Amino acid sequence: MKATRVFQLTALVLVVVSVVQVGWWVLDRHAQTHEKVRAARAAYAEQTAAAQALIDAGVSAPRVHELLPQIVVAGGHAALAPQVNEALRTEERHRDNQYAWEGSFFLLALGACIAVIARALRAEARVLEQQDSFLALVSHQFKTPLASLQLSLETMALRTLSPEQSRTLIDRMLADLARMEAMVTQILESARLERGRVEFKSEPLELGAAVARVVAHLEERARQERIRISCDIEPGLYVASDPLALDVVVRNILENALAAVTPLGGGSIALSARAHNGEVELSVRDSGVGFRPADSARLFERFTRLHPRGGSGHYGTGLGLFIVHRLMHLGQGRVSAHSEGVGQGAHFVLTWPAAQGQRS
Amino acid sequence: MNATLAATRVLVVEDDPHLAAGVMENLRAEGYEVSTAGDGERALAWLREQACALIVLDVMLPGIDGFGVCRTLREQGNNTPVLFLTARGDPVDRVQGLESGGDDYLAKPFHLQEFLLRVRAILRRWDWYRSASSTAATAVLRFGGNEVDFRVFRARAWNGEAQELTEKEAMILKVLAEHAGEIVSREDLLERVWGYDVFPSTRTVDNFILRLRKRFEKDPGRPRHFLTVWGVGYRFLTEGEP
Repeated sequence: MKATRVFQLTALVLVVVSVVQVGWWVLDRHAQTHEKVRAARAAYAEQTAAAQALIDAGVSAPRVHELLPQIVVAGGHAALAPQVNEALRTEERHRDNQYAWEGSFFLLALGACIAVIARALRAEARVLEQQDSFLALVSHQFKTPLASLQLSLETMALRTLSPEQSRTLIDRMLADLARMEAMVTQILESARLERGRVEFKSEPLELGAAVARVVAHLEERARQERIRISCDIEPGLYVASDPLALDVVVRNILENALAAVTPLGGGSIALSARAHNGEVELSVRDSGVGFRPADSARLFERFTRLHPRGGSGHYGTGLGLFIVHRLMHLGQGRVSAHSEGVGQGAHFVLTWPAAQGQRS
Repeated sequence: MNATLAATRVLVVEDDPHLAAGVMENLRAEGYEVSTAGDGERALAWLREQACALIVLDVMLPGIDGFGVCRTLREQGNNTPVLFLTARGDPVDRVQGLESGGDDYLAKPFHLQEFLLRVRAILRRWDWYRSASSTAATAVLRFGGNEVDFRVFRARAWNGEAQELTEKEAMILKVLAEHAGEIVSREDLLERVWGYDVFPSTRTVDNFILRLRKRFEKDPGRPRHFLTVWGVGYRFLTEGEP
């Protein structure tokens, strides 16, 4: 912030000094031009006087004009030719205009340079600030599972526990470790997305197969939590996406749904898909804790963890849906979330461009 | 409201279910009755209906945060002691926590035994304060035209002005009143009112004495009741220095 203030002050001083300098320069050039024109006029006045003297001495008008071409003689009177007078005035105007334009252009260029530098500095400051808050948030996110892990271990060290109590603590510690591992993965993914260091291929992928792979991976966990996952995706629906991105997106959206249903002690997650207007839509509907409709946009921001009133078992890094949103955006797709309110379940819709050559 | 139950009951306000469960199980194993709340609003709603001896309060809660919960409680006149648990352990947050009316502050991850020690220390301090203010003779302190009711943290100053005391001010006054006429060191006051290592400096005590003088001395610049004993601490005189 301090550096920005210094830059602002320097830029202001530079602009003020430049404006004064350019103003002074324009006035100076104007004065010089004026002086030159005045000198020219004085010289012409002398020629006119000389011409008049020649006429008075009896020299013929054509001879006078021949000797002094800028002078015209009419009715025995010598005068400066009107076009010469006009040329002097035009020259004066032209010079003044030239200086004004050059001065303004210089100031404009200077302003543009300052604006470009200011923009670059601001962007850099923003990146630094984001990195700082990212680090602060990440370390905060890790402290909670770490605290839980330490508490469980110290409880085991301090107290005599029954086998069931030990089992509960071990399960809790394993879940904390799994949570930290998932956080590391998600943080790395989101950091790569943030820096734009993602190579995004686009190829035709069969949605049904991709979803089935992720569902198979999560089925055991869903069964333990008494969550029924139903999948109604007809074969032959192809989306244009990156294979890894598609896998990450579907996994994150399903893990989010599982996390939303788990606190209610069971429920359902229904997946369906359809082709529509050159796009393929995947709909994920869960009977979980839901969210307030006003929060639907905030849901996709980084580190947003909406804790619905109904849920006490909601774990999350606040990164899963952020990753989904970024990856969908990168692949020219989109994602939206809907809920009637807390306790009303949620409905996520993922839309990809349909792959070329897809059977409709 | 069951007063005996409330005396051993602890409310744990923590949004992380594992941590909440771990804290709850350990407090139960120590003989406390434990209730939990997952967010600030639920904690405030619970506290409107019920009472407890201590609130273990997470700072980073969804919705209204821990500091906000504590401030709201104090504004409502609820003086239940608060132990903050938080992932943010830097000194600025620590001071903010104590200023919002918290009694102690523990950064995550924490040691179980230290946590239990701090819980016991806070409850011991409050047990002492309550029992020292329980009889008609000890509940109200009169000095120099001032009247302090320790049970409700209220006072009437010598000029008739009503005063709302914070629990720390009340505790300091209680310690000084118990030792009226004697010299009480700053360290003793810190130990009795805050516990061991919460505040880094005895300057804090001086600030609280200044506040008490402003409330109760006719001329705070020339105190007659809260006297400084240079280099040692303070002496409280009920009658006032002649």
